[in-house]
Amino acid sequence: MTAHTTILATSTGPYVFWITSRGAGIAALILSSLSVSLGLLMAGGRGRTRRADMRVAHEALALSTLAALVIHGLSLLGDGYLHPSLADVAIPFAGSYRTVWTAAGIIAFWSLAILGLSYYLRAKIGAQRWRSLHRLTAVAWILGIVHSLGDGTDAGQTWFLAMTATVVAPAVLLLLIRHLRPAGLRGAPAQPLPRHTGRGVGAPASEMQGAGSR
Amino acid sequence: MTPPASSRTSSGADAKALAQRRRAELRRRTTRIRRSVAALALSLFAAAFGVVYVQLASGHDPALTAAALRRERAAAAPGSGAATTSPSESQSTEFGGAESGAGEAGSSEAESGSGEASGPSSVTTSQS
Repeated sequence: MTAHTTILATSTGPYVFWITSRGAGIAALILSSLSVSLGLLMAGGRGRTRRADMRVAHEALALSTLAALVIHGLSLLGDGYLHPSLADVAIPFAGSYRTVWTAAGIIAFWSLAILGLSYYLRAKIGAQRWRSLHRLTAVAWILGIVHSLGDGTDAGQTWFLAMTATVVAPAVLLLLIRHLRPAGLRGAPAQPLPRHTGRGVGAPASEMQGAGSR
Repeated sequence: MTPPASSRTSSGADAKALAQRRRAELRRRTTRIRRSVAALALSLFAAAFGVVYVQLASGHDPALTAAALRRERAAAAPGSGAATTSPSESQSTEFGGAESGAGEAGSSEAESGSGEASGPSSVTTSQS
């Protein structure tokens, strides 16, 4: 048993960074899908009684996604085969490895980061403009899924496809419901946010309502 | 009919205390949710890492398996030089059906494994 364990540890040693990157990528895929689902649920006017809790969970899931994506990209810097530079993993089309698929992932990451973190600047951006921008998060998320299916080492594995379908399908369904529904029936009516930028569930109800489309 | 000053003071203090309690409760709930999400994120990462690790260590990694198979076939084939020079072609012809998805996804990764696939291959040998 000890010998067996030693063999495993030795053989996977050179691949630790690669495994870490794959693990973080999978975690990011799940977390982002959960975050998008929760955001769409709030935007659709569901869970009004627990809106504040949902907003906190949505925010935490989004930040966790960004953290996982940072690990996903940075851990590749230690990969023994690819040896990518920081530019290769941070700048779209800079690397030579599967340029298009990788660029899709990099663009998705930066889009998610900018659109997600702009939440903290919404007082400056303007609530209405921020809300319009925030809707593009779904596009960045879809781009991330395209990257995972096109570039992912495990993309052909049954367990990966089943997992992806499980987490992506509800979000896609909510997205379709939101966009196919007549505009008048959509939830979370646009309301101007107060200048108050306090975070957390202690924020005024009007802000909670405004944050619904996040 | 204004209430006496003492009564006003006490009701104001009650309201303040109630507001403080509510704020504290909201803060506790927020912290709990954030901690739960952080725990979920860590668990997901650990689970995904574990799955990929076991898959790789047991010799079932899609990229490295493809690379090993390709090397074996290239070695077995009479014109093995041609097979090694065109990995993408050999990949597309060797892997059909269920493997084809992984084949495409892992073909370039397979190249990554081809250079250092001795680890997992030796694991497979030692296990079988």
